[in-house]
Amino acid sequence: MKKWIWKGHVVVLLVLMLCLNLPGCGGNRKTVLTIGVYSGSYWNTPNGNCYQILDDAIALFEESHPGVKVEYASGIPAGDYSEWLAEQIMKGTEPDLYFVLPEDFDLLVSSGALAQLDERIAEDPDFDTSLYYESCLRSGQFEGSQYALPHESVPTIMFVNKTLLEANGIEMPDNDWTWEDFYNICDQITDVDQHQYGVYGYSWLDAMYSNGASLFSEDGRSCYLAEENVLQAIQFTKQLGELGGGYNVSARDFDVGRVAFQPLLYSEYRAYQPYPWRVKKYSAFQWDCVSMPAGPSGSNISELHTMMLGISSRTRHGDLAWEFCKLLSINEDVQRKLYTSSHGISPLRAVAEDPELLQQIHHDIPEGSGFSPEMIHRIMDNAVVVPRFDAYDQAMIMAESAIQEAASNQLGQSKMLIAQSDINIFLNKS
Amino acid sequence: MKTERNLMTIATVMFALNFSILCFYSLICVTTTFRICDTLGAHDFLTLVRQIPRYPWQMPVQSLSLYALLCAVSYFKIFRPIEHFPLRVVICATEIVLCAGIIFSLDFYYSGVALLVLADLVHYIRSNKLRLCFIVILSLMFAFGRYEIVSQFTKSIAFSAYLSYYTPITQGIFTSLESLMVCLNILLFVLYMILLFTGQKAENERIRKLNEQLNQANDQLRDYAINMERMTQMRERNRLAREIHDTLGHTLTGIIMGADAGLALLDVAPEESRKRIQVVAQTARNGLTDVRRSIKALRPDALERYSLAQALEDLVENFRLTTSAQITYCQEAGELNLDSDEEDALYRVVQEGMTNAVRHGKADRVAIRVSRTGDVVTVSVRDNGTGCDKPEEGFGLRHMRERLEMLGGTLSYGNLDNSAQDGYTGFFITVELSVRNRKGDSL
Repeated sequence: MKKWIWKGHVVVLLVLMLCLNLPGCGGNRKTVLTIGVYSGSYWNTPNGNCYQILDDAIALFEESHPGVKVEYASGIPAGDYSEWLAEQIMKGTEPDLYFVLPEDFDLLVSSGALAQLDERIAEDPDFDTSLYYESCLRSGQFEGSQYALPHESVPTIMFVNKTLLEANGIEMPDNDWTWEDFYNICDQITDVDQHQYGVYGYSWLDAMYSNGASLFSEDGRSCYLAEENVLQAIQFTKQLGELGGGYNVSARDFDVGRVAFQPLLYSEYRAYQPYPWRVKKYSAFQWDCVSMPAGPSGSNISELHTMMLGISSRTRHGDLAWEFCKLLSINEDVQRKLYTSSHGISPLRAVAEDPELLQQIHHDIPEGSGFSPEMIHRIMDNAVVVPRFDAYDQAMIMAESAIQEAASNQLGQSKMLIAQSDINIFLNKS
Repeated sequence: MKTERNLMTIATVMFALNFSILCFYSLICVTTTFRICDTLGAHDFLTLVRQIPRYPWQMPVQSLSLYALLCAVSYFKIFRPIEHFPLRVVICATEIVLCAGIIFSLDFYYSGVALLVLADLVHYIRSNKLRLCFIVILSLMFAFGRYEIVSQFTKSIAFSAYLSYYTPITQGIFTSLESLMVCLNILLFVLYMILLFTGQKAENERIRKLNEQLNQANDQLRDYAINMERMTQMRERNRLAREIHDTLGHTLTGIIMGADAGLALLDVAPEESRKRIQVVAQTARNGLTDVRRSIKALRPDALERYSLAQALEDLVENFRLTTSAQITYCQEAGELNLDSDEEDALYRVVQEGMTNAVRHGKADRVAIRVSRTGDVVTVSVRDNGTGCDKPEEGFGLRHMRERLEMLGGTLSYGNLDNSAQDGYTGFFITVELSVRNRKGDSL
């Protein structure tokens, strides 16, 4: 009997060993590294050959890593990318590394789909975090840990309808303008009879960021809804809204040239300012961009959107994925190519502020660009990165509804305090 | 046993039910995952659960393969009984580990498989301490291996999240099916336990009754043994008396008669007288040896040394010499290869017969005949003495009869007809003994 059992054990062991070795004994099969990528531009701007940069990077990578093949599924539109990625995660077939859309970052981290990179960053001597803009790097952080590396960033900037301003005898504002300047111009432009308005799409959040305020603490444990600078921002947006006399300004109003200002992404500027695309959009008027107006307690800064790269927490090729991730994120050559062909700003200081490169980028703009290296430095260095935490979405909804309610009634600090303490209770519970 | 068969049936049903439950959870999770993906709901689902699901193949493959192993171990246990105790414990521990693995691989949606293993082990292990230990471990696994409890510590997706994909009606059907199966499992477990313990109780009762019967039988046996001893004592006493009578009586008769004859001849034929006295002395010596023998084994010495035929011949020869009687000895039974008790009895019959003829019948001719028909040996002793007017069963005859009756033989005796042609008109003793057929017997 004992003998019989021993034999059984040996058989089980052999089978186990065979199973464990099967994936490893495939002979000279190439290691395949998969990468999740979307087609077109995430920033909703026209993009010629979206895979060019990636293909070049893959060629470079495969050359330096013999025996490794990098593969990706092409043809997933940026709009469907979130769903596609979620599907892959559900089916357990997610790529080894993938692009992380700013709005998905929170979900992917909190669900455990992204691998934490702190250890790799600390152990990798080639990886120097000081090469990045701090704000870009911060976009890939969640509760203090790095989960994704920045690929390209896009700040929010203020579009100005120069034609409308000139018609009203107003000078183009400079990059140091304030809320006061902004309000005054809007006040002058607004003419309900002429169907002419000051601003479209300027939210209390935009105002809050440029007033040096943030709604939540870094760790997501406290809410600052009733802070003075937040209240100022809310008050300011309310005042701006009241200028139009109750009229709801639409995007079309801006497109046809009846609105002076609209906060838009830098990518829009990059895409539509030079030829040939400038005839496609905003062609009814002359336009330019300035930084966001500074609030009384803040400066000319805005929110930064960053496209990131993350490594799957379930990948079997973590080291290779990290190498490739670095290649796409911190390699200057790749970033230079990206900067010139895409519509974002490189997260690397050396690339983003390179005068020659900027010259090359902006040479198609007829009137010349207001985006000097200094301005890019200012926007990128001070850009606001909204802290991300698990309960962010829910807390944001609570804050929005409190403001909505306050806006319809009389805005009072006491009401905001009540809302703030409600949100704080919620944040500390979750 | 009937209970055993019922237990087996319930266990089989439980195994099948648990298999269905495992399949149910695996199927729902896998198919829902793919349906969610097909209907573009993956992002919403992830947002809802905030947790990456495990690989879809993981749950069915892990849980079912572990379950198959569990079934194999359980089957192995039944059909290859193991006596080695540590090995039994190892097998039980293996089952518990497999059970934990199954619960874990099912994301703690279902812990009822612990009941299945509990039922299996409680039946298998008879040691109360170990049983209690297993009951505690598996009950804890059953109670705490629930998603609602474990999800506080580990991240996994609730089964209800998968169900929430379906319409309320479908959800209701699935939930009812789930609770139905889970309840059925618990019910079967309870039934199993009840049957197991009532079965054990009945068995204990049966054992108690059997014990009682055994005790009674023991008492009877003791009484019987006492009786037996008493009877043996009695029989042995009788036998002893017989032996004394047979050996001493016979020898002394021989001596007296020899001595008388010697005395009578002393003057007439001194030489003959001397011979007779020598024979008397020899008879006395033989008698002494017989007495010693009797004391030692209560067995005739002649028989000890020779076969029955030889011993009888010696006996007759001795008798001829010590008495003046004419003895006709006719042995027609061939080689007499009998058991010692049978030999003893026949030897004594001949001895007693001759002694009686000379002592009581005053006979001077004695005819002895030993014959055999099949298994029946017949010994007859006839004389030409005076016979016996009123044949009273003396000590010698009675013991002869008792001895024969003990061996299943018969003894007849009486006066012979006066008209007998061969001149034997005195007394006769006939013995018929059905002998035990011994192996290697010539007849």
